[in-house]
Amino acid sequence: MKYLIIAVKILMVCSLLVARRSALGSRATSHGPREKLPYVYTEWKHFTVNTGLPNDHVFAIKADGPKVWVGTENGLACIDKRTGKIKSWKEKDGLPWRVVSALDVNPKTGELWVGLFGGGLARFSGGRFDHWHQLNSGLVNDVVYGVAIENDNVWAATTAGASRYNTVTGEWTIYTEKNSPMEEIWNYGVSYDAGKVYLGIWGSGVLEFDVATETWKDYLDPDGEMEIDLYRDDGIVHVISTGTSYIDGILWVSTYFGMNRYDGRHWRGFYEHETGLPSDFGNAVKGRSANEAWFATDKGLGVLADFPSDTWVTYTMDPNTHRGKAVVSQNQKVLEAIDMPKSIPHNYALWVEIDGNDVWVGTSKGVGWGIGPGYYKGLKDRAVYKAKIVKIKAEN
Amino acid sequence: MRRSLLITLIIVVLAGALWAAEGQRKHPVYVGAKVCATCHQGKDMGHQFSRWLASKHATAYAVLAKPESKKIAELSGIPQEPQESPMCLGCHATGAHAEAWEKDQTFFTEDGVQCEKCHGPGSEYTDAAIMMDRQAAMKAGLIMPTIPDCMGCHQVKGSHVAVHKLPKLDMKKALKDIAHPTPGDFKYGPMSQLPDVTGLKKGRGKYIGVLICAACHKGPMMGYQFSKWRMSAHARAYAVLATPEAYAIAKKQGLKGDPQTNIACLKCHTTAYHQLTEGVIEFFSLYEGVGCEACHGAGSHYYPEAVMRDRPAARAAGLREINRETCLRCHENPHDKPFDFDEAVKKIAHPTRAPAVSQAPRYKTPLNMALSPDGKELYVTCEASHTVIVVNVQRRQKVAEISVGHHPTDVTFSPDGARAYVSNRLDDTVSVIDVLSRNVIATLAVGDEPHGLLTDSSGKHLYVLNTSADSISVIDTTTLKKLKRLSASRSPWSLSRSPDGSAIYVTNNLSRFVKFRTPSVSEVTVIDTSQAVVKDRIVVPAANLMQGIAWHPSGNFALITLNRTKNLVPMTRLLQGWTITNGLGIVWRAPPWGEPKDGRVDQVLLDEPGMCFPDPTDVAITPDGRLALVTSSGSNRIAVVDVTKLISMLEAASTYEREHVFGNHLGKPTEFVIDHIRTGDSPRGVLIAPDGKTAFTANALDDSLTVIDINSFCAVGRIDLGGPKVITKVRYGERLFHSANITFNRQFSCHSCHPDGHVDGLTYDIEPDGIGVCPVDNRTLRGILDTAPFKWEGTNPSLQRQCGPRLAVFFTRIQPFTPEELSALDNYICTIPRPSNRYRPLGAELTDAQRRGKKMFERTMTNDGRIIPKGNRCATCHLPPLYTDRRRHNIGTKLWLDHESDFDTPHLNNIYDSAPYLHNGIAETLEEIWTRYNPDDEHGVTNDMTKDQLNDLIEYIKTL
Repeated sequence: MKYLIIAVKILMVCSLLVARRSALGSRATSHGPREKLPYVYTEWKHFTVNTGLPNDHVFAIKADGPKVWVGTENGLACIDKRTGKIKSWKEKDGLPWRVVSALDVNPKTGELWVGLFGGGLARFSGGRFDHWHQLNSGLVNDVVYGVAIENDNVWAATTAGASRYNTVTGEWTIYTEKNSPMEEIWNYGVSYDAGKVYLGIWGSGVLEFDVATETWKDYLDPDGEMEIDLYRDDGIVHVISTGTSYIDGILWVSTYFGMNRYDGRHWRGFYEHETGLPSDFGNAVKGRSANEAWFATDKGLGVLADFPSDTWVTYTMDPNTHRGKAVVSQNQKVLEAIDMPKSIPHNYALWVEIDGNDVWVGTSKGVGWGIGPGYYKGLKDRAVYKAKIVKIKAEN
Repeated sequence: MRRSLLITLIIVVLAGALWAAEGQRKHPVYVGAKVCATCHQGKDMGHQFSRWLASKHATAYAVLAKPESKKIAELSGIPQEPQESPMCLGCHATGAHAEAWEKDQTFFTEDGVQCEKCHGPGSEYTDAAIMMDRQAAMKAGLIMPTIPDCMGCHQVKGSHVAVHKLPKLDMKKALKDIAHPTPGDFKYGPMSQLPDVTGLKKGRGKYIGVLICAACHKGPMMGYQFSKWRMSAHARAYAVLATPEAYAIAKKQGLKGDPQTNIACLKCHTTAYHQLTEGVIEFFSLYEGVGCEACHGAGSHYYPEAVMRDRPAARAAGLREINRETCLRCHENPHDKPFDFDEAVKKIAHPTRAPAVSQAPRYKTPLNMALSPDGKELYVTCEASHTVIVVNVQRRQKVAEISVGHHPTDVTFSPDGARAYVSNRLDDTVSVIDVLSRNVIATLAVGDEPHGLLTDSSGKHLYVLNTSADSISVIDTTTLKKLKRLSASRSPWSLSRSPDGSAIYVTNNLSRFVKFRTPSVSEVTVIDTSQAVVKDRIVVPAANLMQGIAWHPSGNFALITLNRTKNLVPMTRLLQGWTITNGLGIVWRAPPWGEPKDGRVDQVLLDEPGMCFPDPTDVAITPDGRLALVTSSGSNRIAVVDVTKLISMLEAASTYEREHVFGNHLGKPTEFVIDHIRTGDSPRGVLIAPDGKTAFTANALDDSLTVIDINSFCAVGRIDLGGPKVITKVRYGERLFHSANITFNRQFSCHSCHPDGHVDGLTYDIEPDGIGVCPVDNRTLRGILDTAPFKWEGTNPSLQRQCGPRLAVFFTRIQPFTPEELSALDNYICTIPRPSNRYRPLGAELTDAQRRGKKMFERTMTNDGRIIPKGNRCATCHLPPLYTDRRRHNIGTKLWLDHESDFDTPHLNNIYDSAPYLHNGIAETLEEIWTRYNPDDEHGVTNDMTKDQLNDLIEYIKTL
């Protein structure tokens, strides 16, 4: 038995080495059968308090060139990708509030906008923090969950509605149930792209704001507040929406009961039991294209790598060994499973940021940086590593 | 049980009814005096309408056409035509601050101060049934004004007194003059026996009324024809028929009853009965008296502009020429009064072109300069003449003058020299000048009050400092489109490009907001020109009014001008150089670029014991880096700084000395200031020619440039920019305002605390009553003339008092201004213009948020339906047009540091640009006034407001 275990271990190590080489797209070798497979991130770096983060509970990440901004439960950090060095700011350093819950960068000015959980909104520019809150400004509430830059405006998703701040005129506009179809006012997330602002709202689904016409459109669960989807793909899966991401004309949504894709005409729901999602409890979503989206859940990271073929990659961390796993599945069939020394730092994932070929994942135990120099979109013909696929799937 | 159910039911029904009533309440709109007249006219109503029509209130709009009104506007720093200025119209018209939709078609601004000015917009209470019930009428918006309401407009106004020399209004007599009591046996309703005005004379056209004529025949371009008529006896011809004299004349002529209903009287006292025509159009009013058409004929056929521009066509369409016969029809010895035609014609003359009104001399006021890249021409921005003057450098002569926008402030050339860019501070624009043709080829909208401007070294991006918006506009010079706005600190002022072109450093005139009762912290904003973003913000502690900036050719540091204002201790303390010490900052750029060591700032003084260097404004460095020239606009001098010595002194000093000693050391300047050179009056910009031999200063207050030979440190020439040679009283006052001669040791001028008449953003401890006691926020001087009393405690009744003894006792500490000087100074202060409101351009409609905010500003009930006591409503103390009742109130802002609890009500015009707020400057933003400092609803009832309502209120307040 003892020899059998040793043999299996040797086999596994060899297999992993092969898998690692074959999984990295361009670096894949011709070992094993070849199939059309998505790119899998196998090289990960972690950043935690041990490496300089001010706190391990990471709520937001924003990549801006060589800088990666990290919002934590007790401070703001900036990772220099080139050196791996971390600079951080706490309240004693001028950060107006300890909990940084949201981040966005104005692409024109380079200013970092910081959502503060209980402290309002801040702008970090040239080393100076400017602070807006309920008392000194028109911000509707200090509990800010999300921040998004839209042209010259900054949106803040707060627990009492959404605020839109015009940085040129200084005007604050509040959106609540009074002037928008916001049935509940607990705004969880906000995103902007191509003339549309999307709010993910706890109990009010998703609201779409057309910047040109300043009109609203609401997306609610046709099944009401039921936690199951009675008629699939009839709309958003649930009204408790946590995140939105709009890219290439496609809206991606995360909720506490599953995820969504909306192409402007058709909805598509995604659930743990029939996809590679590690959980239906979505904390955040980031679309990379019309066909690729990353979902941060309470049990790991689910990546819809190729929508047309329903191909998923599921990233998790083994809580016992702290090793990482990536499972590739298609139409509920596992195609590939990769054991890695590292994946995401913790399975409770709260944020995902796409950074060119790389990805950044915020978790309750630090930041994971998925390095993907050979990243490719969709599927590609490459070698498959066939491990104990069924077993790995079962473990998941 | 049944009883409680019944009570509940009743409550529900009542609540529903109340809710329904609330829902039906409409926003009142102005209907105009003539609508009121439908009931309030005639003998049975005491001729109330006619009494108004014959009063000064009715001509209040028209009098704004008088030259005196223009003079008052000029004195008050109002740049618009009085008949177009919201400030003037606020008291000279009705509903001046209402939007177009808040005025019915029957309402005309030209009718001056009408019934609704005092009684409120009438649409909801004009119905006779409502008016019969005073309670109901008041609920529907009827206001019964009290004397304080009248005082909103009738308090003494310095500007008006200066021109009219009239004594204070005797309110008792005034009320008697305008009294219009309703008779005890009044009878509402249209007048009876009003004859039919339609004479049905075919082919003669219909009467259209003066107000249609006025649509074209008003304003300065038409010689204010309408206003002239409105001020004439012709316009009162109908109204006078209601006087006892008219009744007596009628009786004498054997006419019975009310002359206003008697056709024999109306024939000469109204237009419509003058000559029978086809009738009248809908808006024609009998009440206009003898209008244009009484003499010129019914206008319905000739009034279109196209016809009127063709004189024969107009004649053919019924426009009559006026001759003696026209007048004599009514004026030939009427009521035994002799008639002198020639005199009468003179009296009512209304030529299209008004006689020219003599204007004050137009000075140049040069502020800043730029040298063309070929070194041949100097462009000089001239604030007062709204021009850029071109000077030939070799000939040292003015060769051209280019009109640009209002208050041009700074100028820069594109690197290729093909274009010059000019910031127009009053217009919020940048003029683009084609250098070859000397024409303005484009005008770009930028942010509030653009000041400094400069391109990057490639010329691709133009950076414009929006002084009043705390931002920097980045403009693509190819498309001339705004790319983005960067955030500066407060009041970005000047900028300078590093020798390698990689960075632009920006000085900020005002300190950042700091915690209450803590020293200033100013900022040099660093722009990375490769990405056009703010890369760094260098902190300069204890400094403010950082204005001039120049890079040393080595690229190791930049020099900035600065003040170190000790605003936290009483102004009587001479500690560390007294109140406002003046100096230089050395902003280091330590290699390698971008490391944390960047941005160390040394501060040194330019003041010396007994000889200060007030208002250091600009700095330039010789190409060899050896010398720096700094202008002192308050003492008409240039300091020559030996840069090598200055740097050596710093390098030889300890860190402690550099951080804690030099910034306050009056003995140090003698080590590096090697000479002072006299200039013309109030030197602002300074520029050194590329050869390093010659320098120029722009002398703002004597319209000249001083030419300086750098080798000999001598002023060797004066270039006259061509301003008027006469020095007016206002100009004299302007010089006094900018001169430090009035202060102990000549340390500061009025301009030091009120740069360009505005604010320095500081809270001062002025009086020697203990450290930190009674701190007061510095207030703007823009548009303050009619806002007396002055001082936060409201104890100075006039500017003369404020700037006279008070200034000497607490500020300047030497002999006060002489009466002549004081008078000139006050004259100047009053003319400091207030820029147009950025949040509501003239004539613009309110935005939705502003409109909702206006409702909050004017509300009389809380959200839960409680009546807000009149004294606790915004509009009670902040009433238009100045938005101050000019009285003191306790709004609950007294702190442990204050002696007083009642403070002067500040005006709210352009309130957005003078933060911080409240008497002690404790509120950084308008929001904080109510969210932090109004806990007990003493400063208006605001605590019931939702956050969005408060936002709306603030959006509206910003439009005032």
